[in-house]
Amino acid sequence: MIKNTANPIFSSYEKKDALYDEIFDENDEVRDVYKKLFELYSGLSSNDFGTLNEKAKATFFNQGITFQVYSDAKAQEKIFPFDLFPRIIDATEWETIEKGVLQRSKALNLFLHDVYHDKKIIKEGIVPLDLISSSSNYLQSMMGIDPPGGIYNHISGTDLIKHSDGHYYVLEDNIRCPSGVSYVMCNRNALKKALFGVFNHYDIHTVTDYAENLLEILESVKPNGVDIPTVVVITPGIYNSAYYEHSYLAKTIGIELVEGRDLFVENDFVYMKTISGPKRVDVIYRRIDDTFLDPLEFRSDSAIGVPGLFAAYKKGNVTIVNAPGTGVADDKAIYTYMPDIIKYYLDEEPILKNVHTYHCSREDDLKYVLENIDKLVIKPVDEAGGYGISIGNKLTKEEIKQVQEVIKKEPRKYIAQPIMSLSVHATFIEDENSFEQRHVDLRTFTLLGNQKDFVLKGGLTRVALKKGNLIVNSSQGGGSKDTWILKNK
Amino acid sequence: MKYDYTIKYRSENHYETPVFEAYWQFLVTPENNSTQKLITEKFTTSVNARIEESVNGLGFTTSRIHCKKPFKDIVFEAEFKLTKREVNPFDFTLPLDNSLDYELLSSLPFRVEFEAYLKNTALTILPKISEDLFKFEQSKSVFENCIALNTFIHNFITFKTGVTNTNTTLPTILENKEGVCQDYTHLMCAVARVNQVPARYVSGYLHQGDGFLGDMQMHAWTELYIPEIGWVGFDSTNNLVANHNHIKVAHGKDYNDCPPLKGIVYSSGNNFTKYTVEVNHQQ
Repeated sequence: MIKNTANPIFSSYEKKDALYDEIFDENDEVRDVYKKLFELYSGLSSNDFGTLNEKAKATFFNQGITFQVYSDAKAQEKIFPFDLFPRIIDATEWETIEKGVLQRSKALNLFLHDVYHDKKIIKEGIVPLDLISSSSNYLQSMMGIDPPGGIYNHISGTDLIKHSDGHYYVLEDNIRCPSGVSYVMCNRNALKKALFGVFNHYDIHTVTDYAENLLEILESVKPNGVDIPTVVVITPGIYNSAYYEHSYLAKTIGIELVEGRDLFVENDFVYMKTISGPKRVDVIYRRIDDTFLDPLEFRSDSAIGVPGLFAAYKKGNVTIVNAPGTGVADDKAIYTYMPDIIKYYLDEEPILKNVHTYHCSREDDLKYVLENIDKLVIKPVDEAGGYGISIGNKLTKEEIKQVQEVIKKEPRKYIAQPIMSLSVHATFIEDENSFEQRHVDLRTFTLLGNQKDFVLKGGLTRVALKKGNLIVNSSQGGGSKDTWILKNK
Repeated sequence: MKYDYTIKYRSENHYETPVFEAYWQFLVTPENNSTQKLITEKFTTSVNARIEESVNGLGFTTSRIHCKKPFKDIVFEAEFKLTKREVNPFDFTLPLDNSLDYELLSSLPFRVEFEAYLKNTALTILPKISEDLFKFEQSKSVFENCIALNTFIHNFITFKTGVTNTNTTLPTILENKEGVCQDYTHLMCAVARVNQVPARYVSGYLHQGDGFLGDMQMHAWTELYIPEIGWVGFDSTNNLVANHNHIKVAHGKDYNDCPPLKGIVYSSGNNFTKYTVEVNHQQ
């Protein structure tokens, strides 16, 4: 229990000392950046929060900001739960994060260029050949292609956590189709509607400039010879879990939202069917996976792709964002080589820390992992969205045995990391009608273009809503918070 | 000596119910390389659709048809004229010291460079128990071992049509020891790769003598990368080193990288496909 119970809504706030609390320091004092907010929130009762919470939820429902959970057979549309207590990051702390994620994105871009050209980093033995050759995301068709502006990972989503030592660690780099940015903007909107008064007391960076910067980045990588490019967003369709985000982005950027059947290829140029006839498309922001892009080049059973698209891309007549084949670098096994990758291409020390990782493909590591499962998180190398993750200290003896068997069968498929203790943040819990500690992480969004880059000054703070749960992905029942980046005083 | 060839490729498709939209992508055009040169090409279809030339992901020429009007039958015909130079597969000197070549094959930069043609695919993965099916003898040159492997594969499989298809994997072939050219080629690729020799699946035409008409199919053989020589074609179906009768279209990791036809057809009901190939040699 915290000593300071002057604030009624925090009267039952249970503070565990082993965890890093974003709001209260080790002496149970409110941290500087939260002082004002804490004072403002003191004027509200838990019933007030209950009402505001209901209203905020209604806005999300009404806007249709929903998603689906794939592993659930009776899949239902759900809202991504939103929390009323924002996370605040001060200017100096943010500066490090921003520099760090940009450094990673740039290094990954150079890495991608290398693995699709000379493969120097592998020939020199810094990254093992096996990681490339056994990766299903490594596309031979991308060999030798030079994407416009030299950019592969135009859009990166970097997931960070704050450990109990108070340092940020990167958990993963998402550079296929990172999602979640629409929630960043919607969360800001919802919080402004619910508690507009608090914004007067803080000088924070806007998040709405993401859309204009994304458009600039997309236009900057237009094919050679195109003056004013036509840019579109391609979605798998309304049944995709992130369809809301696709339509939101198209709408806010001011570009067309298309499905595969709205496009066709003729003489290696891509056209969009419009009521006034075909219109040439120059840049495609795709939200469909590599292997579904073009049934003539990749999976022939893809009904959501565009036949002939890859040939048009190869000829340089259209730009695909992110480039096909970027997935090879967001493999969780590549992640563990990030410090080396940064040093190799940029000759810099990594600004952000990596979590130590054990590769089950290495004999020594495998031995350690099998003996210490209870202290580790086991992750499959190539699954996204938190599927297939086992957290060692939550497993029964029986389950540990099963996990050991699974790993032994295909060691290359698994990595393990020490159980990181994610920082906690006060979160409004509906059932308790009060604030409680919940684990949070942070997804940042980085854009790379031709002679231009941008890091969104904000991010998606995801919350694990189940008590004690460490997995924050929305598909695993997580929620989110508005994230404030303070301006320099 | 030069050889002039005319190649005719014809494919017929019949659909039970009308097709409203369809894409066909043919990978049947002979490539230009140091031993063969394409002179003319001619395409016709029965549906009056435009034929577009393009390239696939591995850089080979494709011909694509996009039909926008409903139809039930479609015929596609292609005719190529090309010249082929005499190839003497034995036109090189064998290295004096074989060990250097084997050192090269196992060196990291080499394995990285040829990564795509050294890794297993679903169609070329050998079951664990068969990994020692054919071991290279380090006392002999890489080339000599490849020749021996070619003969080994030729004798291992009995040519028989209708028992396998393009999805047949190696365990079935190893068990039944029967198949056609793509099965010989998949096994050859797999065994070469476990012996650290880069191997690629080649799709092309085989000239089998003049006036040979009828139900001829496209052919498949293997190219192996031999240090200091480069890619050499091995036709294990016929126990030959590829020569002027082998007209190459494309290569890849396995059959899936170079099927002659890929079709995306929006239709229901059954369909029936037939294709023929004719290769003629002009004096």
